[in-house]
Amino acid sequence: MTVDLDQYVKPGKGHYIALGLEGSANKLGVGVIKHNIGPLSQTNRAEVLSNIRDTYVTPPGEGFLPRDTARHHRNWVVRIIKKALIEANIKGTDIDCICFTQGPGMGAPLQSVVIAARTLAQLWNNIPLVGVNHCIGHIEMGREITGADNPVVLYVSGGNTQVIAYSKQRYRIFGETLDIAIGNCLDRFARTLKIPNEPAPGYNIEQMAKKGKHLINLPYTVKGMDMSMSGILGYIDQLANDMFGKQPKKVIDEVSGEPITPEDLCFSLQEILFSMLVEITERALAHVNSNQVLIVGGVGSNERLQEMMKLMIQDRKNGQIYATDERFCIDNGIMIAHAGLLSYRTGQTNLINDTVCTQRFRTDEVFIKWRDD
Amino acid sequence: MTDRLVKEIEGHLPHIPLEIVSQGAEALVFQTSTHPYIDDPYLKNQKKYIVKFRPSKPYRHPIIDASINKTRTIGEAKFMTKLNKLGINSPSIISVDYSKAIIWMEFLGSELTNGDISSFKNWLWYLERNESEAKCVDEQVEQVCKKVGELIGKLHMNDMIHGDLTSSNIILQDFEPALIDFGLSSYSGLAEDKAVDLYVLERAILSTHSVFSDTYNGWLLEGYGSIHKQYSKQGGTKKYAETIKKLEDVRLRGRKRSMLG
Repeated sequence: MTVDLDQYVKPGKGHYIALGLEGSANKLGVGVIKHNIGPLSQTNRAEVLSNIRDTYVTPPGEGFLPRDTARHHRNWVVRIIKKALIEANIKGTDIDCICFTQGPGMGAPLQSVVIAARTLAQLWNNIPLVGVNHCIGHIEMGREITGADNPVVLYVSGGNTQVIAYSKQRYRIFGETLDIAIGNCLDRFARTLKIPNEPAPGYNIEQMAKKGKHLINLPYTVKGMDMSMSGILGYIDQLANDMFGKQPKKVIDEVSGEPITPEDLCFSLQEILFSMLVEITERALAHVNSNQVLIVGGVGSNERLQEMMKLMIQDRKNGQIYATDERFCIDNGIMIAHAGLLSYRTGQTNLINDTVCTQRFRTDEVFIKWRDD
Repeated sequence: MTDRLVKEIEGHLPHIPLEIVSQGAEALVFQTSTHPYIDDPYLKNQKKYIVKFRPSKPYRHPIIDASINKTRTIGEAKFMTKLNKLGINSPSIISVDYSKAIIWMEFLGSELTNGDISSFKNWLWYLERNESEAKCVDEQVEQVCKKVGELIGKLHMNDMIHGDLTSSNIILQDFEPALIDFGLSSYSGLAEDKAVDLYVLERAILSTHSVFSDTYNGWLLEGYGSIHKQYSKQGGTKKYAETIKKLEDVRLRGRKRSMLG
């Protein structure tokens, strides 16, 4: 990196501290990050001072609604911020900038968190505010944690499914879902089967899938570097309703003659969806002549997906895979703090009347001023 | 490309000299100087042939893997045969081995000055990196873009869908574009499917050749429209209007989709 990141350092200070607030979906995350001056490198890593998260969990069979999720965030935001500051051992006035998720996400939860950000900024002597694109937060944090330098990014979460690569100061979207997101597909299937939402529906599907043996036939819908999942969900939902609905119907595996279990359904759904994900990622790799993959987003913490990606990348020359664990994969405040701080260090901040959240905010809309390769 | 894959293809095709051309997402593409049976007089290039091999993918469940590899190899071979009959530029098929997922085909394209194969993508990248900005949008580029649009127009007039249109899946043979890679191809007369096909290309151009993407996409659609006008007796004008209308819907869907989490 040859971009000068220290034009805006406070006189006499050798470091920056940023507070990040994330609340675009059912997770409320607060993180404090520290950058020392100078470009980020292997020897000058960003330092995580605290990373606290609280998840709004709904009963089995129910999703999280915007209004209730916003109420959860409003309820907890002060307590979580206090906890994060204590853990980081800093005062509000030590902070250089307050970063918040500006989008994409659910409107009401986003708004409740941005109000907290605005209030704090004014309470603590007008600290600058920085609006962060949620997806960029995932990508930058993933790069920082894993050290991946210029990877193809597979971003898979409850609301997003995108294959992204960097080119000319933007993260460009090469492939994405044409309808619903992968996490959404898994969550909705979990609801059909009444799989608990604690700790996360996707996690419980993953555990059940480990016990599945029989593969049922599902559609496979890759379109170039894009994919479509609503048809698969409709198909398997119908099957699950037939099998476990009011008039249960027994479905038999064609090969072994054994009955199909809910575990088999989870197994089959994961196998088919993840095959599609790995395929579109490989297509993007081949298209941009890259051999590094970085997986980010909540679904990225799935071990089966990571394993499949690894098997794919092993067959490519010098292939490398980077993935993070649940602390950084699942929505968190620290990634917002990190990406926001990079923005701040290149002089991009938001005036208070410019801090309106947006539910739709494309990854490629953001100008990546802190990279110039 | 790793040793495991080299061993696999060498097991299938012993004593055939193979030189890797590219490793795509689902297939390995080799070039060879050996024809599997005879030199065919109609082939443009009689010294070089392409061998396309779909290795099994260890990450996929064996059942999914076998079914995908088989249907794609068969589908691709049939699609290419049909394209040949219709006279739509694409490599001619030489031989197919379904059980091993291997297709032999005609070698199209040439080497660019920097040694890369003359795909549409590599050529545009070459211009972007080595030539002036004016050169990237000169008359020749305009001609090629329009020809690519015409080629896709012909394909769609025959209710054929490529399924993976990107600038790397178009090969330039003496600046005449030819389509390759039909693993995701299908047949459909629906304006929706054609619009998605165009949208995939539009997005690929946007992300791969971002500097002049609007100009390129404009020319591509111009060529696409002109071929439909030529076929106006077969309902080309109407089909064009329908597809373009759908394309606008698909674009909107792509950008406005709710994105949570």
